Amino acid sequence: MIEPKADAGAAARLGASNVTRRFGPVLANDGVNFQAERGTIHAIVGGNGAGKSTLMRILQGMDSPDEGFVLVDGAPTVFLGPADAFGQGIGMVHQEFMLVPGLTLVENLMLAREAVDRLGRIDRRAALDAARRLEKLAGVALDWDMLEQDAPIHVRQIVEILRLLYRGADVLILDEPTAVLAPAQVGELIALLRKLRNEGRTIIFISHKLDEVLAVADRITVMRNGRVIGSLDREEADKARLAEMMIGEIIAQPKVRNREAGAEMLSIESLDIAGCGHAQLKDFNLSVRSGEIVGIAGVAGNGQDEIAEAVVGLIEPRSGHIRIGNMEVTDASLGRRRSAGLSYLSPDRAAEGLCLPASIADNMMAGHHRAPEFCASGISRRGAMHSHVESLLDRFAVKRGSSALPASSLSGGNQQRVAVARELDGDPKVLLACQPTRGVDIRGIAFIHQCLLDYRNRGGAVLLISEELDELLQLSDRIVVVYGGRITGEVERGSADVAEIGRMMLGDTA
Amino acid sequence: MIDNIIFAAIAMTTPVLLAAIGGLVNRVGGIVNIGLDSMMLAGALAGLIVASTTGSCLIAVLAAAAIGAVLGLMMSLAVTRLDANEIIVGLGFSVAVAGLVRFFLKTVYDSSGTLNLPSVARLPGIDIPVLANVPVLGALVSGHDVLTWLAWLMVPATVWFLARTRLGLRLRAAGAAPQAARSLGLRPLLLRDASTTFAGMMAGIAGAYLSIGVVGIFNEGITAGRGFIALAAFYFGRNRPWQTALGALLFGFFDAFQIRMQGRGVPAELVQTLPYIMVIFVLTVMALATRRARSRRA
Amino acid sequence: MSDAAITPWKPARVPLQTFADAILPLALALAVAAILLALAGHNPFEVYRLLAVESFGSTRRIAATLSSTTPLILTGLATAVAFRAGAFNVGVEGCIFVGGLAAAYVGFAFAGLPGVVLIVLGLTVSIIVGALWMLVPGVLKARLDVDEVVTTLMLNFVAVSLTAYLVNGPLLAPGSANSATPMVVAAARLPRLMPPSTLNIGFVIAVLLLVLYWLWGNRTALGFETRLAGLNARFATAQGIDVPMLIIKMMLLSGAIGGLAGGIHALGTVGRFVSGFSPGYGFTGIAVALLGRGTAPGIFLAALLFGALATSGATIQLFSDVPIEIVEILQGMVMIFAVARFGWIFARRRRAA
Repeated sequence: MIEPKADAGAAARLGASNVTRRFGPVLANDGVNFQAERGTIHAIVGGNGAGKSTLMRILQGMDSPDEGFVLVDGAPTVFLGPADAFGQGIGMVHQEFMLVPGLTLVENLMLAREAVDRLGRIDRRAALDAARRLEKLAGVALDWDMLEQDAPIHVRQIVEILRLLYRGADVLILDEPTAVLAPAQVGELIALLRKLRNEGRTIIFISHKLDEVLAVADRITVMRNGRVIGSLDREEADKARLAEMMIGEIIAQPKVRNREAGAEMLSIESLDIAGCGHAQLKDFNLSVRSGEIVGIAGVAGNGQDEIAEAVVGLIEPRSGHIRIGNMEVTDASLGRRRSAGLSYLSPDRAAEGLCLPASIADNMMAGHHRAPEFCASGISRRGAMHSHVESLLDRFAVKRGSSALPASSLSGGNQQRVAVARELDGDPKVLLACQPTRGVDIRGIAFIHQCLLDYRNRGGAVLLISEELDELLQLSDRIVVVYGGRITGEVERGSADVAEIGRMMLGDTA
Repeated sequence: MIDNIIFAAIAMTTPVLLAAIGGLVNRVGGIVNIGLDSMMLAGALAGLIVASTTGSCLIAVLAAAAIGAVLGLMMSLAVTRLDANEIIVGLGFSVAVAGLVRFFLKTVYDSSGTLNLPSVARLPGIDIPVLANVPVLGALVSGHDVLTWLAWLMVPATVWFLARTRLGLRLRAAGAAPQAARSLGLRPLLLRDASTTFAGMMAGIAGAYLSIGVVGIFNEGITAGRGFIALAAFYFGRNRPWQTALGALLFGFFDAFQIRMQGRGVPAELVQTLPYIMVIFVLTVMALATRRARSRRA
Repeated sequence: MSDAAITPWKPARVPLQTFADAILPLALALAVAAILLALAGHNPFEVYRLLAVESFGSTRRIAATLSSTTPLILTGLATAVAFRAGAFNVGVEGCIFVGGLAAAYVGFAFAGLPGVVLIVLGLTVSIIVGALWMLVPGVLKARLDVDEVVTTLMLNFVAVSLTAYLVNGPLLAPGSANSATPMVVAAARLPRLMPPSTLNIGFVIAVLLLVLYWLWGNRTALGFETRLAGLNARFATAQGIDVPMLIIKMMLLSGAIGGLAGGIHALGTVGRFVSGFSPGYGFTGIAVALLGRGTAPGIFLAALLFGALATSGATIQLFSDVPIEIVEILQGMVMIFAVARFGWIFARRRRAA
């Protein structure tokens, strides 16, 4: 057990002293002690639900602790809000960017710190000058008059970081900054962070990706279940040690059985999609067979969403064919596709995968409520539904109160279990799984992975779209890489090389 | 004859335009204000009463603006602080204020819906010497009252405000991404309340225009749903002031046209339905255009 | 407003909490109205006492109250049905006008037919006309995402003007100066339950429909689907539910019930169609649906409340000079308070975003 470093005279730039924060019965932070020294890059790692985001929000003034204090330069401080924290030089880049659509990049940069003349009129030239100076500092070049919603994700992230600098922040807190980046873009971000650190700024970032953390952090703090397990310097840390601290136990790797793929269950032929707001898909071909998991890798925004939407039936392709089993479904509604054997696990659990205000039971039955065993000429068989729901909830180990409670009462991991249970119910022909373990705790991730593999072993076909390369590598029999709406490469299980996939994700064809 | 129609159209556009500009700013700030009609009604009543007691239109307009602003603020607080659904609150306000106005009329004036007061100061028209005699142009610019001028001046003013001022930028941010605005230390709810207060004020002024500008009396149907037509106008305008003005003008033309038609053997009630049908028609056309534009780029 | 459809009331939770949720808006509205009454020189407690007595004080009064409740049950139900699916239908008022006129027309134009046939025909016609009236807004919303609040609101004005034209012109009672159709024949009048009160079998029909709604909502697949569609349209779509078709169906149903309300009012209570046919039943229906949280028992109780206010408000006008508009003010405020969330008062003050 590694003890946190004792105060060595000079006060840490930002820290937490015995911080505790509760949300109802959940103890998000439990007596957390933490120090980030000036001029260092400090990483906080832990699985989902470890309490990292809560701690960061408290450090940045978005939230306040029930007990304990934030320490700024060693002094206990109470923030009245994020503006207050900003005033002390502390700023944060959230995982969901806090940029405003409809405004240009430069307008977003200067928002709430606008340069104005006496009439309250905005001084555009001063703003652009400041923007250019920051650009030079970061070593980038941006089109500042672009609208926020038209800018690619990594550009938006850079604007978020530059905005912190514009507002005079010298402590930058970043929440999972590499989640949306391709491997090469991650390298650029790391270079930028190092540059800023060398100039004396303090950088704190949250991640669950141990490779990146080991690549860039000077000091690493591990959290689990709301507590700090320990802090170590970079030299003392290695992947195995960090993983053990994060998980606290050994989780068995999911079993993958070798099997021959069977009949074709999902066939996408010559799919062509274009449109405003959509990436283009050009002449896209893909096939998923029974008993195989096909993964799609790529930086967000390169066509994966469009593939998913086209398979599900939410957008109409300009040309091409989609077949489920033997049935042509190109013009069919989502309802008909589901009847044909398609199941869809949405990447957006809160807005689409579940109906949070509805009961857990309702969420479990949705989509199956008209099946003959639950519905006789339009009238629901409530008894049959109830016992079915209870049996599924038990089988998928969902921790809940009563199944009549709203789905919002479940934790993120349990919510996802409900969604997975529902989509696998009835053993569909093919499952489209998008970001299946996003926001799920470590145990839940392992469980869901095992569910997907069991389904595959039973003969199921899975099209897996995920931003987590690790997940794709672990589960997929084949990985298809997309860039710019086209397939840039394909690798089989066992022969996958992360560097190679990373290059394909940025457009290098195999 | 054309001149008469043009003049009437501009005159009929004014109340809708005033309210629509208010509604547009409100929407940019993040609230769709369904209660504009009720604020217009209250403003009309207040304007008439004050015009009669003080003999000054200026004070009357200010009073109407104040009443509208207060109602706007109350409505906004219900939405922002009590987290209530803005559509229902807007409707609730419409019903409650309509009742309140009639309650007030009965209690104070013992009247059941119409109020005719003595010596009401009316809004004077502004004649422009040379242009007044020019065909078409004369009808466009001469003879209109100060509120009409105000309404049209507000259009470029709003464009400038939204695009070029700090407050306008912050309002846009508060409406489009309140979470992000808050994270930067702004107060999106406060900005929203301010925008609703502004909308109420504009609707109140529109009401004053109707009572002391157009007819000189008050009756409970004086707004004839113009607050809701203003809603349609800023829907049509999609947060763009000039486009909104165009929408208001369209309805103004229809209104003027409809009054002309009433004398000519076409049943009055049927003609009265035209503006409302127009709104539905316009919204449909816009939706079709949006759909076509979206699929054209596919 | 074309975001994910959200049914405006919070989903029902623990019964006690739901009850409290329903009482609080009413209590607040009564409190504010009391202030207004006091300002106007009336004694609020005396007024409220009178209201209570005049609505429930005797069998005849109760019958009158139930008679006033009938249209409100129907308009509340009509509104609730649409709201449940995520469509903000505020056009029930218009449906009452067109449905009422249609039923009245059947009632006087087909004088020779037997009573039962006339009644069934009249009510059926009002149902069909009411449904058709909501067809355009329903389709526009479902297929083009055109805002239904604006379209249904506009159609209210159109309905009033259209029926005004018809009742002043082709359908005017001969020799009549005011805008009214001829009386419907006696055979077409809905049978009375407790003469001489106007309470008629319309009340029974309304309650029956309410029971059907309760069964439908809780026990049918379609009821299940509409509820989900109203809570989260994206989710419903992702589960294969055809949300646009559902919206059209529910708008038609909503219009049908609204039309029926008009038909029952014409054939039961009034006996003809006159201008000013509905004193805002449609808008009161919105308040009823909201206060009743879209549940069958809730709608009944809320309708009863407003029916009581309407009945007693009308009669206390004879005893005092309290304007009946106080009822309208109450209605509007109930609507606002019914969708306000007061939870923050009890939650600890948090700055968490």
